[in-house]
Amino acid sequence: MFLVDARITSKRTVARDMYVLTMQAREIASAVLPGQFVNIGWSPGPLLRRPFSVYRVDGERIEIVLKAVGAGTAQLLSMSQGDHVSCLGPLGHGFEIGAGPRTAVLISGGLGVASMTLAARRAASLGIRVTWVHGARTSEDLCSESDGDDLVWATDDGSKGVKGTAVAAAPDADLVLACGPNRMLAAVAERWPGAQVAVETYMGCGTGVCLGCAVPLKRGGYDRACKEGPVYRAAEIDWETLPSHLSYAVTA
Amino acid sequence: MFVAIGELKLRGPVVAASGTFGYGTEVPLLERRALGGMVSKGIFLRPREGTPPPRIAETPSGMLNAIGLQGPGVEALIRDYAPKWAEWDFPVFVNINGESAAEYGELAARLDGVPGVAGFEINISCPNVEQGGLYFGNDPRAASAVTEAVRKRTHLPVWVKLTPMVTDIGVIARAVEAAGADALCAINTFVGMSIDLNAYKPRLSFQTGGLSGPAIRPLALHLAHQAARAVRIPVIGVGGITRAEDALEFLVAGCAAVQVGTATFVNPNAIAEVHDGIAAFLEAKGFSSPADLPRFLPRD
Repeated sequence: MFLVDARITSKRTVARDMYVLTMQAREIASAVLPGQFVNIGWSPGPLLRRPFSVYRVDGERIEIVLKAVGAGTAQLLSMSQGDHVSCLGPLGHGFEIGAGPRTAVLISGGLGVASMTLAARRAASLGIRVTWVHGARTSEDLCSESDGDDLVWATDDGSKGVKGTAVAAAPDADLVLACGPNRMLAAVAERWPGAQVAVETYMGCGTGVCLGCAVPLKRGGYDRACKEGPVYRAAEIDWETLPSHLSYAVTA
Repeated sequence: MFVAIGELKLRGPVVAASGTFGYGTEVPLLERRALGGMVSKGIFLRPREGTPPPRIAETPSGMLNAIGLQGPGVEALIRDYAPKWAEWDFPVFVNINGESAAEYGELAARLDGVPGVAGFEINISCPNVEQGGLYFGNDPRAASAVTEAVRKRTHLPVWVKLTPMVTDIGVIARAVEAAGADALCAINTFVGMSIDLNAYKPRLSFQTGGLSGPAIRPLALHLAHQAARAVRIPVIGVGGITRAEDALEFLVAGCAAVQVGTATFVNPNAIAEVHDGIAAFLEAKGFSSPADLPRFLPRD
């Protein structure tokens, strides 16, 4: 784990209101694994850092994907090339992708693309055939970037690809990885209990101390999205108790 | 930068606050030379699951938490953590909790003499448990009974962490001093609330939570000062301290030491930065130790 003063090097648009920020973070770039995240703070900014999956690595740079979901992310998006943020990471336990499976299906909903690119590249490097299913509400909300051998689009309104959910549009595969709204992940759990899913929670410290990012488990009790997670076997999670929608305060 | 908390000497004036430092094994990247000591996450006799999510909500310059004292219980703490503490070069205090005065006493007795346990911080101020916690902290008789129950079972230093949710903190401070406390920690979190305007209900599943962070600092400073005026035992100031200047305000207002909590969530090295900033201030002003700082402490 590293605490890096990271310079923002670029920002690009990948869907309606969805952006990729690139920042210089050498130590994190060389250590990060698929499904891991960074916790980003800035000054002046909100009190707590904000967690983001690492979307891509390019040499000494890392990329994150974000939307202005609250006051904090809006501030982050107003920053320019050359501004600095404090970047803590890599954090969490990511996807387990080893040799063995012949096929993998990656299912992402909305911002869930954020944890999929590194996973797609890792799987491809092991000779696994990767199908990536992108889901969003409309074609304009679909991330324009992708990776993998086969691509499937799914939109709620049918404006691009299959009309319906990404989960319904996904083929079966030896390895199933998913990231998106918790409601979508609960549907993944129904269909593939053994799938690996990256959950979304509110987060405090990101390092396992505050116990704020509790994930309720089927076997009882809670553990920490930032430490044991954010990737879990879908069947392990008590989906009834995990908040299905996170709303963000506008005042923080 | 030694400071004295009663009989106990700390190598520095900054202590890691309970609930923000786990069991001392979790916080990465902190320069530990700066730790005067630490207080463990609150523990009960038995394991506790804690509250369902959402457990935290950010507010302006602060955060609400309702973790519910999730923890493994005292036996796991003795087995898994105390042996590590025994190897460390700073004292570890255990934050103890119970649903009755007798439970607090039992916990102290179980931990007394365990290598690695340097003392106790009695938590009579947690707002996030159904029974116990805050109840003991806003009744001087209950606060005194809990303190006595612990005092009878240990010769180790006993600190009592006070709640701000009282009309006169001096009354509680004097009651626990009389019951045998060696020091006071002032203050724990304020009870707060935040509403989700999409769901028309509280953002925390527990409905209310403890407010911490810079938002509470001026309130905490005032209450720590009031407690320090009311008693002769040392007061350890806590509440929203993020920078050295914040800590120095508490020291001048009559505190013998400080605890840093929520700041560690944001900056894993916050404790070291506060410690080094205090040292730099003392040197610049020509003081050789925190005890030499002028105090603003009219006595009640």
